[in-house]
Amino acid sequence: MEITFWILAAITVVGAILAITLRNLVHCVLSLILFFLGIAGHYLLLGADFLGAVQILIYIGAVAVLILFAIMLTRHVTGTEGPREVLGGKWWTGMGTSIIVAGLLWAVIRRDQIAAMLPAGAAKTSIAEIGRVLVGDWVVPFEAMAVLLTAALIGAVVIALEEVMRRR
Amino acid sequence: MSELVRQQWLIPLFPLAAAAIQSLLKRPARKLSATICIGAMGISCVLTLRALFATFGFGRGGEHYEVERVIWNFTWFSFGNTSLSLGFILDPLTAGMAAMVAFVSFWIFVNATGYMSSDENFTRFFCFLSLFGASMLGLVVSNNLLLLFMCWELVGLCSYLLIGFWYFKPSAAAAMKKAFITTRVGDIGFFLGILLLYWQSGTLSLYTPEGTGALQQAGKLATLTGWWGLSMAGTIAFLLFIGAMGKSAQFPLHVWLPDAMEGPTPVSALIHAATMVAAGVFMVGRMYPLFTAQSHDWVMTFVMWIGCFTAVFSATIAVAQFDIKRVLAYSTCSQLGYMVMGLGAGSLVAGQFHLLTHAFFKALLFLGSGCVIIGTHHEQDMRKMGGLRKYMPITFWCYLIGTLALCGIPPFAGFFSKDEILLATYYRSPWAWGLGTFAAFLTAFYMTRQIFLVFFGPWRGGRPEAHPHSQLAEAHGELDVPHGEAHGGEVHLHAHAPHEIPWNMWLPLVVLSAFALFMGWLGTPWLGGNLFHHYLAPEEAVPQHSDFVLWLSIGVGLFGIVLGWLVYGRKPLQNALDDDPLALTTPVMFTVLNRKWYIDELYEVTIIHFTTAGATFFRLVDKLLVDGCLHAIAWIAWGLSQLFRWGGDELVINGGFDASCESVRLGGKVLAKLQSGRVQDYFRVLSLGFAILLLIYFFA
Amino acid sequence: MNVPLSNYLMLSAFLFAIGLCGALSRKNAIIVLMGIEIMFNAGILNLIAFWHYKLFVAPTAQMFAIFAISIAAAESAVGLALVIAVYRHYKSVDMDEMKSLQG
Repeated sequence: MEITFWILAAITVVGAILAITLRNLVHCVLSLILFFLGIAGHYLLLGADFLGAVQILIYIGAVAVLILFAIMLTRHVTGTEGPREVLGGKWWTGMGTSIIVAGLLWAVIRRDQIAAMLPAGAAKTSIAEIGRVLVGDWVVPFEAMAVLLTAALIGAVVIALEEVMRRR
Repeated sequence: MSELVRQQWLIPLFPLAAAAIQSLLKRPARKLSATICIGAMGISCVLTLRALFATFGFGRGGEHYEVERVIWNFTWFSFGNTSLSLGFILDPLTAGMAAMVAFVSFWIFVNATGYMSSDENFTRFFCFLSLFGASMLGLVVSNNLLLLFMCWELVGLCSYLLIGFWYFKPSAAAAMKKAFITTRVGDIGFFLGILLLYWQSGTLSLYTPEGTGALQQAGKLATLTGWWGLSMAGTIAFLLFIGAMGKSAQFPLHVWLPDAMEGPTPVSALIHAATMVAAGVFMVGRMYPLFTAQSHDWVMTFVMWIGCFTAVFSATIAVAQFDIKRVLAYSTCSQLGYMVMGLGAGSLVAGQFHLLTHAFFKALLFLGSGCVIIGTHHEQDMRKMGGLRKYMPITFWCYLIGTLALCGIPPFAGFFSKDEILLATYYRSPWAWGLGTFAAFLTAFYMTRQIFLVFFGPWRGGRPEAHPHSQLAEAHGELDVPHGEAHGGEVHLHAHAPHEIPWNMWLPLVVLSAFALFMGWLGTPWLGGNLFHHYLAPEEAVPQHSDFVLWLSIGVGLFGIVLGWLVYGRKPLQNALDDDPLALTTPVMFTVLNRKWYIDELYEVTIIHFTTAGATFFRLVDKLLVDGCLHAIAWIAWGLSQLFRWGGDELVINGGFDASCESVRLGGKVLAKLQSGRVQDYFRVLSLGFAILLLIYFFA
Repeated sequence: MNVPLSNYLMLSAFLFAIGLCGALSRKNAIIVLMGIEIMFNAGILNLIAFWHYKLFVAPTAQMFAIFAISIAAAESAVGLALVIAVYRHYKSVDMDEMKSLQG
């Protein structure tokens, strides 16, 4: 099933590249969604079905929509599509750095032969098991997560709302 | 006696203290200055007389006894193992000399109060006189060559100061320099002698109680080999004598003494007749054991012949001088030659005796000439004097006594002392004796000439010269013959008649005349043996009495007087511009003698020129070489400093500092760009760091 | 699956680099946040890849991944709220203009 991997990989990569290179912000978001989908596909391919579902739900359902909202809220009055120039000042540092990073990681991966150290076979986990673990061994992080999310929610609301409140 | 010798230092102390006090006085304090000076010298005179009387009681009894000397040495300062000591001595030589110096100085000081009464620098004069008195007395009582040399130089200094007392006169300024430099030439030899003596004998003290004094080692020094084929004692004696030649104006270092007459007459009387010039003779007498140590050294012969030559040489010049003081100066020179001749002939007694008698009558003569000068209103040319016998009788009689003493006519003092010298010389060298006798003749001649020119004949001063008889002068075109009315001002210069002098000027004359009359009796053999001989140097052999020498010297003196009368007394000079009768008979000779045998001109051409050339050469060397080196060093230093400044300081230090500051600033500017305020830039840097970490991980 | 682990690792590395590039290069703040999301996802993909090849004991890796996703979501929410707040002040989302902290 190699081909699946390569197709999914292609989708993912294309989605990521488009996400950062398109001019139109909304198009960027859409390709980001494409990217998320590709990642979700990878998860499914790797046997983490719950995670795949979670990916789609959260990332595409929440994060991408959130980004869209943010785009909408930060448009110029004149209705232009954002800044004229796409690239920021000194963009080549970023390019160069990422190339370096990519190259190095590739070199590392090639060199270290990690795959040879791993036993063969795949892992499997059921949703039931995840659920049991979530409220069992991992209940404290779970609750902490809840607190974190609440805090983030309140924080986001406060930050984004303040101006509006004051103006009133 | 030892108590007395411990107090010897008081003798020069009083005049020294007087000089110190007087130097602080103001110019108008004339009476006070003179009183301090004369008073101090009076106290010293009393002290010296006390010492003198004490020495009379030395070791009496017996024909042959050693002269007793009392010595007191003390350490001046010590350095390391050696020490420098000074000392005082009390013995017949010192006591007699000190008494003479103090006594004569005292009366000359009294005379000077009259001589300098019209001078405005009265106080300064007496201050210098006190200083001189102190130095001379210090020289005489010293038992130590160092102390003697210090006092020797001090008297030279005082002579310099007093000769050039009227320093604003160019002739006086030149004379003071000449005196000092000429005596300095002699002092080179003196100092070399001192050094040699110190080196060879190890001490500068002349006598010590332990017998280690320099003079007490004379025997030992006579056995060592010295320079120039002499023994060590002879070498030292020769060098010391060179100093005496300078100070006592022997040929060829005599040239300063006549010029020293530029100073006031009391100075001439004191320094250049009685005391300072006698210091050379005294010093030879002091060092006599060194001179007599070895009999076949030619030092004594040399001394005798130098003295003899000087005696004759100066006497010839004195014949043709017109200045009253110049005649006396050359006479002094001649008599000093006599003293030196006596010492060289082996008789300390003769030399010293003549020194003492000469001091009295020469001082008398100089003071007399001073009185004449004052009496004729500062006239010094004998041709403008004459007939002063009538105007200044006291001066005349005293002067006459002095002249007779100088000519060696018995029973005056000079006869006895001069006769002793001639006697001693007769046994040593007949040739020298012959020349000495000739000099005695000349002495009588020129002194008689002086007497007749000054005191006899018409008074030539101040009258208009109506009929000049000076053919010689006209022939040479020298004289500008004044015709009464045309040169009115010049002719009436000395219009007043001469006058007698006040009491403070003729009293010293009288006192000194007494000594000139009677002092000679100390040296006669008819008063229970030669008193002076026994007193001073009983170990010396008394020369065999010779009637021939005795009568010849008397005869020669009388002959000189008669000749003088013939030339100058029978037909006295009528006018100031008339020629000297001697000049008419032997014009060339007279001119040569008048010009002092052209010695001064000879020195000018040879030594002075040489020295000046040498000085110019060295000045050039100094300017080019030494100054050149200095300039080069300064230039190098400046160059180095510039190098350090520009290369080092400006370039390296300032530049380096500025560069570092600049680099810090630029660095800051560059680094500040990192703080752009943009989050994305920070993120870029972060990721760059991450990439570097990866690199490290990969390569490490 | 015959795909070696290194494929997944290289893929996630590549995606990470892309995300990094976007975060560093784009002027728009929102794109930067998107790049950060991409980086996040690349990292979690890496984790799950290792889980798949039995590097970790299940279900730790899944738990990790779930929490990571949750945190990422919370973070993006806050980040976007910040962007909105910043937009209100600067009137633009241009990263180059936000330099009041300069110096």
